[in-house]
Amino acid sequence: MAIFLQAATNGLLLGGVYGLVSAGLTLIFGVMRIVNFAHGEFLMLGMFATYWLGRASGLHPYVLLVPVGVLMFGVGLLVQRALIDRVLGRTDEAQILLTVGLSAFLQGAALFVWGADYRTIPTPLASASVAVGPVYLSVARLVAFGVAVVLAAGLYVLLVRTDLGRAMRAAAENREVALLLGIDTGRIYRLAFGIGTGLVGVAGALMAPVLATFPTVGTLFALTAFVVVVLGGMGDIVGAMIGGMIIGVTEALIATYVALDLAPLATFLIFLLILLVRPQGLLGKGRV
Amino acid sequence: MTRRWIAAAAVVALAAWAFPARAAQAAGEVALALFAPLTGSQADVGVFNRNAVEMAVADVNAAGGVRALGGARLRLVTVDSTSEPATDVAAAQRLVSTTKVVAAVGMGISPLTIPVQSVFERAQIPFLVHNIAPQTTTSGYHYTFRIAPTGTQFGETQVEFFKALNSVYHLGLSRAAVVYENSAYGTSTAEPIKALAKNAGIELTLFESYPHGLTDASSLVTDIRKANAQVLFPVGYTTDAELIINTMAVQHVKPLIIGGGAGFIWPAMGKDMGDKMNGLTSVASWNWDSKHIRLRPDLWAIVTRYQQKYGTFMPEHAGMAYAEVWAVVEAMNKAGSADGTKIKDALHALDFTHGPMTLMQPGHVKFNEQGQNIYAHPVMVQWAGGAPHTVYPPTDASQKVEVPR
Amino acid sequence: MTPGESPPLAHPAEGLAPAGPRASRMARRRGLWAAAALAALLLVPFWLSDRYVMHLWVTFYLFAALALAWDLIGGYAGQLSLGHAAFFALGAYTPVLLLQRWGLSPIAGGVLGAALAAAVAVGIGSIVFRLRGVFFAMATIAFAEIVRALLLHFRSLTQGDNGLAIPFTGERPLDLMFRSEAPFYVIALGLVVVTLAVTARMRRSRIGYYLRAIRDDQDAAESLGVVSRDVKLAALVASAALTALGGTVYAFDIGFINPDSTASLGLSIEIAIMAIIGGVGTLAGPIVGAGMIVALTQITNAALGSRGGASTALYGLLLMVTVLLRPAGLAALWSRPTGRRGERRGAA
Repeated sequence: MAIFLQAATNGLLLGGVYGLVSAGLTLIFGVMRIVNFAHGEFLMLGMFATYWLGRASGLHPYVLLVPVGVLMFGVGLLVQRALIDRVLGRTDEAQILLTVGLSAFLQGAALFVWGADYRTIPTPLASASVAVGPVYLSVARLVAFGVAVVLAAGLYVLLVRTDLGRAMRAAAENREVALLLGIDTGRIYRLAFGIGTGLVGVAGALMAPVLATFPTVGTLFALTAFVVVVLGGMGDIVGAMIGGMIIGVTEALIATYVALDLAPLATFLIFLLILLVRPQGLLGKGRV
Repeated sequence: MTRRWIAAAAVVALAAWAFPARAAQAAGEVALALFAPLTGSQADVGVFNRNAVEMAVADVNAAGGVRALGGARLRLVTVDSTSEPATDVAAAQRLVSTTKVVAAVGMGISPLTIPVQSVFERAQIPFLVHNIAPQTTTSGYHYTFRIAPTGTQFGETQVEFFKALNSVYHLGLSRAAVVYENSAYGTSTAEPIKALAKNAGIELTLFESYPHGLTDASSLVTDIRKANAQVLFPVGYTTDAELIINTMAVQHVKPLIIGGGAGFIWPAMGKDMGDKMNGLTSVASWNWDSKHIRLRPDLWAIVTRYQQKYGTFMPEHAGMAYAEVWAVVEAMNKAGSADGTKIKDALHALDFTHGPMTLMQPGHVKFNEQGQNIYAHPVMVQWAGGAPHTVYPPTDASQKVEVPR
Repeated sequence: MTPGESPPLAHPAEGLAPAGPRASRMARRRGLWAAAALAALLLVPFWLSDRYVMHLWVTFYLFAALALAWDLIGGYAGQLSLGHAAFFALGAYTPVLLLQRWGLSPIAGGVLGAALAAAVAVGIGSIVFRLRGVFFAMATIAFAEIVRALLLHFRSLTQGDNGLAIPFTGERPLDLMFRSEAPFYVIALGLVVVTLAVTARMRRSRIGYYLRAIRDDQDAAESLGVVSRDVKLAALVASAALTALGGTVYAFDIGFINPDSTASLGLSIEIAIMAIIGGVGTLAGPIVGAGMIVALTQITNAALGSRGGASTALYGLLLMVTVLLRPAGLAALWSRPTGRRGERRGAA
């Protein structure tokens, strides 16, 4: 039983971070109907930003959450303005190919500039743990989980209770009507993309103490994020968090009870299943 | 329409011309290739292979170069194999097609060795390696030479050591777990442990592989905990080894560790983990303070010089890479030629009992028909004071085992 | 045009063999040019001794064939597949395993690999063709990742991440073991010719006509009686089989395969990029695209050393530029200015 709880807890903690990564992706899709295939690379950039800022300033990664988030928000704004904006009216395929190209570009550039070496941020956190009953929780992962949940909740509140959020949901619902209502959709899209990217940047900073940083680290997270987003319902923040935890726990349980390397396989099978049986996701109609 | 085809042809012609110029061979010089991972997840290993080979090349040239070729100097060509098998193959192909080298040395990572053996074989260039996967010398290659022991010997030695601990110190250990990285290295070390477990009185409660480049070891460590093992035989490279040990600390899982080499004996672990390493034992292909090295001033000088020059004890791969360079030189001397095929024949014929290539314990190197060094055997080391010391077998030990609490 | 977008105003008879004496003279002239080019290319191994350059040619031919094969489904059918590496991997692993376990010649093994890929294509096609747009693309990615995970998992069969090495132990033509690169040059060139022939044939056939109709407007085509699923499946099956053959050539030329070098997302994307940059839906486009990418990779390697990533960054950049500025690809640089790009709200 202790083993089951430990495995489930491991999965839950990791799932929270999956949820945060996916929340950004699902926000972007919900508002702009764009699936950002370069989302994983923004995670990677967030991790590298944390690494370099940490080296330069000596500050702890958790202190760097805010600057990294702000930095990645800015990056998101830039990318939206320079690239994404230009394909908004075009076909799905054009949008996919643009972000796929962006993903390849960012990965290749990171590999070229920083090299393939794995970098770690040495903090005492790596082995610190807290015992809750028979289960040991890694402090670093616990913090990551906590921050992820808080941020996701914050995003949800933003969308539901603020004017900006309402404007975003209006633009998501129907672009033409939103324009008629005087909503500056251009600004909305920029903010949505910026926030989505900022969130995944923060996720990177959260993962930096526990995960090695290297140029291709984003790929696996990105693929998992796609699955989570579809599972939770595209555009649904709560769905992203819940979906993230479901995937996290499923992977952990399969890893412990079936086979370690079958965990990603299970994730993709779930993905295909959802796409075929219930493409709108578990939580039903997209609800930004 | 025709213009498109011309454009296509132009593009192709461009591709045909965009290749690096062939490296010119200066007179009085022979080129030796260092082929090791200098970037990526195995970069730390590549670095000490490079250190050792650079030191050896300098030593060879200082001692007068290749005697039989009129004192020709060795010119080192450094090639990054990268840490991924696919780019590894590309790097090897680029090397053999663009530079004339007499041999390639410095490779000791199984998943990076196996893919390129064919490349060197097709190009008829001797390839001296120190990885441990058995298939490197059982696949029928003529140009591969392995100075190190095999993974099978690794597993056997770990089990022998376990038995010795029980019988000499009456530790009453019986339940063991094996976790291993799933490339040829990990698999070839772990399988023999499984095969020998029963006769050694080991009850294997867990036998699990994991992919190298692990980002999260929590599930793995939970499995170890589930297995309730008293002894853990972990096999893995540096990043995996550190992650596993740290995660075990998080989950308060503390069995006796008999490591499977690689990450568990390299300097990075010692530096990153500090005192946490003391008492940890592991198997190794080669260790710097084995008895025969301590007893021979010429060999001890090499090891000490490395320490002074590079600031750490001479790591496992470094010793073997150093020996490989000298083996090539001696083969050129015997063959009186820089031709790959003649060097290959000389390497098969030579029986080394003195000279720097006998850095390899027990001080005797001879390659059989398949390229395996028949005198190679692993040793067990134990960490103390920031470095691993040889503690088993008794013929090679320089210290006694410190009994774990 | 990038997949999913309408081509410029097409001549009504485009694709159907034009009739008349002038047309057949043009066709014969084109045929002569093609034969001359082929003969010239076949002569290359006789004067080229540099192994490295020969290997570059092989790489170029291989990618050209892969891009052409991808184009069958990605360009003509307008289905953006980002999972083609799965077929490549099937074509790589099948003959290697059959050779190592049962001594079967890779020539037969390659055919079996292509057949397996075709069968898998039928299976996966009937699932993914129900999806459109982004969901289709994501499903193809998931499919390839599943294949990769399976290859990694069944280690007793595939040696997992370790990969399978094909030891070179002497010249054996029937086992595709050659000391020199020249035979692979010929084989790879042959594969390009075969793929070109299949593509050309398909364009002129009824299936090609239906594919164009589906690409322009699937719903309209279906209302006219085109069974789009069957047509798309046919294109996918051909595409999968040819891609698998590419995998076979790769496996025996390089002598080493593993899941990451054969079933990776990066490879799927690279193949698609080549066809798109060069120009989908054309015969020369994928070849030009492949040549560009191979040339670019070589130049960046030579100029910047072995530090990886530069070429990937470059072709990512090229893809973005193509999508934003030249959706019809390089091939369009020589045709009439493209008409309005088809505006279609994302289908889902």
